[in-house]
Amino acid sequence: MSMPGAMVRRFTLAQRIEHFVLILSFNMLAFTGLPQKYFQTGWAERIIQLLGGIERTRFIHRTFALILIAEALWHIGAMLAARRAGREHGDMAVNFGDFRRVLGDIAFLLGLRREKPAFARYDYRQKLEYWAVVWGTVVMATSGLIMWFPETVARYLPGVIVPASRVAHGGEALLAILSVIIWHFYNAHFRPDIFPMDRAMWSGEIPLERLRHDHRAEYERVVGAEEPPAS
Amino acid sequence: MSSVRWVPIVLGVLIAGAALVAFAVPAAAQDNETCLTCHTAPGMVLTLPSTEVVSVTVDPQRFGASAHGQALTCATCHPKNVDVPHPKVTAKTLKEYQRIAAGVCASCHGDAVDAFAGSVHGRAQRMGFADVPTCVTCHNPHDASRVKTATFRNNLPQLCGTCHADPVIMQKYGLRPVYQTYINEFHGITTTLYKLTKPRDPTPAAICTDCHGGHDIRAASDPASRVHPANVLATCRNCHADAGRFFATAWTEHKTPGPQAAPLVWYVQLFYAFLIPTTVAFLGLLTVLDLGRWATDQIRRAGKS
Repeated sequence: MSMPGAMVRRFTLAQRIEHFVLILSFNMLAFTGLPQKYFQTGWAERIIQLLGGIERTRFIHRTFALILIAEALWHIGAMLAARRAGREHGDMAVNFGDFRRVLGDIAFLLGLRREKPAFARYDYRQKLEYWAVVWGTVVMATSGLIMWFPETVARYLPGVIVPASRVAHGGEALLAILSVIIWHFYNAHFRPDIFPMDRAMWSGEIPLERLRHDHRAEYERVVGAEEPPAS
Repeated sequence: MSSVRWVPIVLGVLIAGAALVAFAVPAAAQDNETCLTCHTAPGMVLTLPSTEVVSVTVDPQRFGASAHGQALTCATCHPKNVDVPHPKVTAKTLKEYQRIAAGVCASCHGDAVDAFAGSVHGRAQRMGFADVPTCVTCHNPHDASRVKTATFRNNLPQLCGTCHADPVIMQKYGLRPVYQTYINEFHGITTTLYKLTKPRDPTPAAICTDCHGGHDIRAASDPASRVHPANVLATCRNCHADAGRFFATAWTEHKTPGPQAAPLVWYVQLFYAFLIPTTVAFLGLLTVLDLGRWATDQIRRAGKS
């Protein structure tokens, strides 16, 4: 049996710093970007005035965009390095079992089964969120750079890609912000058993007891197969 | 005869001459003063037989600050109105009044008037269309320096929009209202934000006249137009100096994206119009289910104890 209050390491310091940079850039990009999307509203006018006009707002937006892009590149580099060093085992990879576990989890939530599916290191909620960030960053960075350098882009690609990028940038931004508010805020903050926040991304550790409950497959891998199944 | 006798006569002539020179110049200013005794009263209007009204109030400070105020007197442009009471206005409608007024501008502004005559607006005027703008539709001769201000530049799309946002007027000429599509586009957003947050700075983004021309504006189908397909890239390059050869299609030509016009933009719109509500519904549903399961467990636990 494990000690009550025992903790398991979940995130490295570098990963937690990465997450903090993501929080900072995401919020600043949303704060300077939404007034540009909803430019005709009164609140947009006040925010842009506060920031010193549209050019200054765009400058701040692009600065944090570069920070986010740099972080994304760092993340790719860190992943490749971790894989080469054998520290990374494809825990975020989406596989067929994830789709089965989504259905299993829905059945559990509806009260159709007693047990939560045995999630691995990352459950489908976390995988969905991770890949949403990857997809979102690719879309936002690409469409943003196209709008930033339309003259150069139009040397090689049809110009219509520029207004299309503007639509994609605004749509993807709204999607990302709504997803974070619904999905991330709930799963990492407002879930009743972890409210006010999941401390794993802060301390880098997760209580062994919660790992057993939320990530049973990972728990069994960590503790060993001799652990009796939860009742 | 002593020459001394002539001294008072010579002096008299000199003084009289000096007085004449000294008073002749303010005499013109005196003219304006006379007019402004009445024409500074706020809300003075001339009502035409068509019941349309023309404001005849002049702001002496704005008038005095403009080139017109420094070079002209009221009588230069309104010679008949030197008589009080003024002769009856012959124009029956506002358009007729404005057309007569525009005739006055031609006496000095020959270049602009010639350019206007060659424009699509000038052509429509000769053909007798009622909605055509004349000089004073866009310019206020009593506040002539306004055209050089940031306010004038930032508000120019609204000025053109007086007609070009109105589907009823546009339909008569087989045109689409183009104002809103401008406002929703890159340039229009920047201009709107300048107007709202930095009204004292002129917008750096293109406004109507930067692409279409002003007095010399032509139909986009006219090969001499700056926005004719053959010329539009060159016009873009006035600001976007290093624009690539495919740059012109970055501008969606005031068209609302659809399956024909800028289909790529339309498909992206459709994609997000589908993806955003679906994602929100899916994530929202799972969140509600999760909360529901937690609440059920709480109730069950409370029942057991």
